[in-house]
Amino acid sequence: MSTERELLPTATARRTRAAVGQLLRPRRGLALGGLAVLVAATAIGLLTAPLLGHIVDLVARGSTDFTLPVAGLAAVALARGAANAWGLALVSRLGEEMLADARERFVERALGLPLEQVEKAGSGDLTARVTTDVAVIAKSVREALPELGRSVLTIVLTLGALAILDWRFLLAALLATPIQLWTVRWYVRRAVPLYAAQRVAGGALQHQLLDTVGGARTVRAFRLSADHVGRVRGRSQEAVNLALRGIRLMTRFFSRLNLAEYVGLSAVLAAGFWLVGSGAATIGTATAAALYFHSLFNPVNAALALVDDAQAATASLARIVGVSDLEGERETGDGAAPAGASVKAAAVGHAYVTGHDVLSDVDLDLGDGERVALVGASGAGKTTLAKLIAGIHRPTRGSISLGGVSLDELGPAATRRTVALISQEVHVFAGPLADDLRLARPGATDEDLRAALARVGATAWVEALPSGLSTVVGEGAHRLTVTQAQQLALARLVLADPPIAILDEATAEAGSAGARALETAAGRALEGRTGLVVAHRLTQAAGADRIVVLDAGRVVETGTHDQLVAAGGRYADLWRAWSGTRS
Amino acid sequence: MPTGRSVLRKAVSDQRRYVVGGSALAAAHQGGEALVPVLIGVIIDEAVTTGDAAALLRWLAVLAAVFAGLSVSYRFASRAAERASEQAAHRLRLEVTGRVLDARGGAEAGRLPGALVNIATGDAKRVGAVNGVLPFAVAGLAGLLVSAVLLLRISVPLGLLVLLGTPPLLWLTHLVGRPLERRSGDEQERAAHASGVAADLVAGLRVLKGIGAEAAAVARYRRTSRDSLAATLRAARAHAGHDGVILALTGLFIAVVALVGAHLAARGDITVGQLVAAVGLAQFLLTPFQIFAWVNGQLAQGRASAERIASVLAAPPAVVPGTGVLSGGTAGHVRFSGVTHGTLRGVNLEVRPGELLGVVCPDPADAVHLLECLAREADPGAGSVELDGVPLPELDLDELRSAVLVAAHDADLFEGTLLDNVLAGTRGSTVEPALAAAAADEVAGTLPEGVDTMVAERGRSLSGGQRQRVALARALAADPAVLAVHDPTTAVDAVTEARIAGALREVRRGRTTMAVTTSPALLAAADRVVVLDEGTVRAEGTHAGLVDSDAAYRAVVLS
Repeated sequence: MSTERELLPTATARRTRAAVGQLLRPRRGLALGGLAVLVAATAIGLLTAPLLGHIVDLVARGSTDFTLPVAGLAAVALARGAANAWGLALVSRLGEEMLADARERFVERALGLPLEQVEKAGSGDLTARVTTDVAVIAKSVREALPELGRSVLTIVLTLGALAILDWRFLLAALLATPIQLWTVRWYVRRAVPLYAAQRVAGGALQHQLLDTVGGARTVRAFRLSADHVGRVRGRSQEAVNLALRGIRLMTRFFSRLNLAEYVGLSAVLAAGFWLVGSGAATIGTATAAALYFHSLFNPVNAALALVDDAQAATASLARIVGVSDLEGERETGDGAAPAGASVKAAAVGHAYVTGHDVLSDVDLDLGDGERVALVGASGAGKTTLAKLIAGIHRPTRGSISLGGVSLDELGPAATRRTVALISQEVHVFAGPLADDLRLARPGATDEDLRAALARVGATAWVEALPSGLSTVVGEGAHRLTVTQAQQLALARLVLADPPIAILDEATAEAGSAGARALETAAGRALEGRTGLVVAHRLTQAAGADRIVVLDAGRVVETGTHDQLVAAGGRYADLWRAWSGTRS
Repeated sequence: MPTGRSVLRKAVSDQRRYVVGGSALAAAHQGGEALVPVLIGVIIDEAVTTGDAAALLRWLAVLAAVFAGLSVSYRFASRAAERASEQAAHRLRLEVTGRVLDARGGAEAGRLPGALVNIATGDAKRVGAVNGVLPFAVAGLAGLLVSAVLLLRISVPLGLLVLLGTPPLLWLTHLVGRPLERRSGDEQERAAHASGVAADLVAGLRVLKGIGAEAAAVARYRRTSRDSLAATLRAARAHAGHDGVILALTGLFIAVVALVGAHLAARGDITVGQLVAAVGLAQFLLTPFQIFAWVNGQLAQGRASAERIASVLAAPPAVVPGTGVLSGGTAGHVRFSGVTHGTLRGVNLEVRPGELLGVVCPDPADAVHLLECLAREADPGAGSVELDGVPLPELDLDELRSAVLVAAHDADLFEGTLLDNVLAGTRGSTVEPALAAAAADEVAGTLPEGVDTMVAERGRSLSGGQRQRVALARALAADPAVLAVHDPTTAVDAVTEARIAGALREVRRGRTTMAVTTSPALLAAADRVVVLDEGTVRAEGTHAGLVDSDAAYRAVVLS
């Protein structure tokens, strides 16, 4: 197996922007409408300060009738609340719909990628993108973006309102801006790597705890408690140190923003002093200007503090778009249909790394409906041969054909309909058990599902589940045993019903008692199909029509159980050790 | 015995220095924030209205001092609060880990590893977070008091209006918000489901590809995603509505304060500047009350988390350790006498010093229960297990486990190199024979950096067969006087298994070994084989002998 990781691609900034544009285009009306309503809401909110200023002016003039401005304040409150709610709802819809489109496109592409490519990148890369990156973007869409949008609108419109009061108030307020811009630059440069380090440390702590707590019995058996508590202490201390560095950075950031607030507020007050003194503004106007600026404190802090969230979301989006832009498997088939369910591998050789052959000169023929067992030590090339026949890898040399049609002519889609590979990896899909099975045949009725389960001997435990076929299984729900999960994999095979099936170590991980139940189930699932079984237990091999012994990538023996036992070769040695008959 | 209350109390009192210091500083910060609108009013009154430049400079200097004070106090308050919170969480995390790993066991009973990890991370964090919010609760109270004094000094009726009006206002917004928030919480949970489904499908990618189910999976994800979108949109609308109601109610309240204040100012009871300050304070006062609501929520979470932590710390131990030590070398003579535990019904079984005994349990539960008693993860309800004539409960647990090692079928590997893992159980002895005997040297040979290759947490970077061989090498390297292995080769191919069986005999020569298995290769290598059935010993002999004479044995082992 190759040791280098070729991570899946990340989109360029330009391509990411274009992808956002593509998502936005069909919703132009919604975007403009949402923006317009939010602008209106913010503008209405800005009327509060001049209304209060007007009241101040009325008091200064000795008037006692405040009905109009107070009624205005009440109207502003109601209109602002309503417009704000409407605008936020529109913008949320925009963001959520775009997010849903993006994640659906991503999952579609991710599931369509050739397995070879995913394995080169390590499946962790894809999983991280589908969980962490999508979550980061979703959080931004839900929390940061509306907040950022609202704050920016408030800031822009407030500054506009200051300019309307008197352009010199705006000039005074803008004295704070250079300090704020410099502060953000200062902060982002330090925050991005620090937060990345915090995420890494948090992940490492979580990993360490899972490792230690999950293996608690082993820790106790080998008396490793002190060592493991030490490991957890180290990881935890690292996370604590980084959290404290984070808070130091954040408080320094806000201190610098406090300075900007002071500079701006003093400048606006001094401008008011000068403008009132020269008769260019009333006291009410000066009051309104000062209140405007004071009311900017929170939105400015909120917007600036969200800058690094926005940056993280952009980086995540680039990773999502990178995968969404990938091409799927190329359909090379020319419509040829396999005739029958035979398998033929001719002079097949394979190397994952050039020069290191895993298989050499393998010839293997399986007749229609024949069942062949592959026996050999780990590293003999059994799994590689299984993957080549299933079309997951292309052989370096030689050719493979199913039903007389070569895999190249068949194309990936038809190959997958013709041959199924049940691998050692068992996975129970989270959700109702019936949904898991229907992945293999979407239109299956409950009766079909029950028949498939009965065929692999799973009826008893499925009936015993709290809600039968509707029981929610998988991660975080009802957990199935390894044996049950493997029976489920076999039931999926029965439902998918391909003419050719390959079982690779499908019974390996179960305890020895489970292994026997699975052998029976595997045998029944293979009925009516051409089957290639990678056998761990010799009894499984003994029951096959023919046995092929692989050693160091070559076929060294082939024949029926009786023939091989009689021949006195490797297989015969193994069998003698098993059956306790000493030669 | 720790309780939720005592856990929480200790978490706070351990960090009291930071909590108290942080509270004082946070209060100073709140006071400063409250003074800013007041000073704006003062500057309007004293400088802008009068045109007194000296007053302007004087008051701007005061404003500068207030800003400096509030900024510095916020900086150090936050740091103290964060430190108190993180340190408390760190201690609790280690305490929980220590309890889980305690030799007496019992903390995992009824809890999945994931749940325990959540307690050590999430719950520890939430209890620690109480330290982080307490200073701000104190500060909110201080801000409330300062504003109240300032308001009442401006005008008693206006002050009373604001002070008495704010709580009902917040109560009203809470009342409006509660059903909305509850709904939004439910729906957000359903929305999170979509992300889980996507991760699950990607995790099962090989399975999907194996049966050509990609299209069905994409269709399923699309449905989930659309459901989740609908739920999220409902939640978002509820949220937006809630925000709108709060904005409107706050605005109306300010209008009432302005109306009353304007009349007082018109009558000459207060100045224009005081009117401005009063409106500013009315807006400011919402913050402390919002802080109280937030602190209350955090406290409730912290209490619930403290309960969960306490339940782990207070979990009863699975076994009570003795104090006995084994004098000199251990002969390795194990005797089960009339052991009744779980599915076992009076098992009498002897493992003689230096022999390799095969134990066949057609019912896997028998094997688990037998080994549980030997490892002293549980004590039998009746009967006893003895090592060299000493009942196990009389022995110190560390002493016992250094002499008797039970290598479980599902034993975990740990993060670190392959060699680190194998060395874990040794006291620095050489591991090459163990690596070779378990055929783990072959595993190392296929890995990029041999025995120095890193193994991911719980051995996930290795295949099942590789994991089993490394785990077996670790058990053999520990070289205990008594070694029990449980189904050590189920994921190993038949060729390698035969080699391991032969090597196991050699590497354990002269030491007691018990192989609980139905593997014919291992049983053929054993000196003697004992068969359990229905919780009791049914047959005994050699593998070849039993294969010949015992049809039931043949059915279990060879079919």
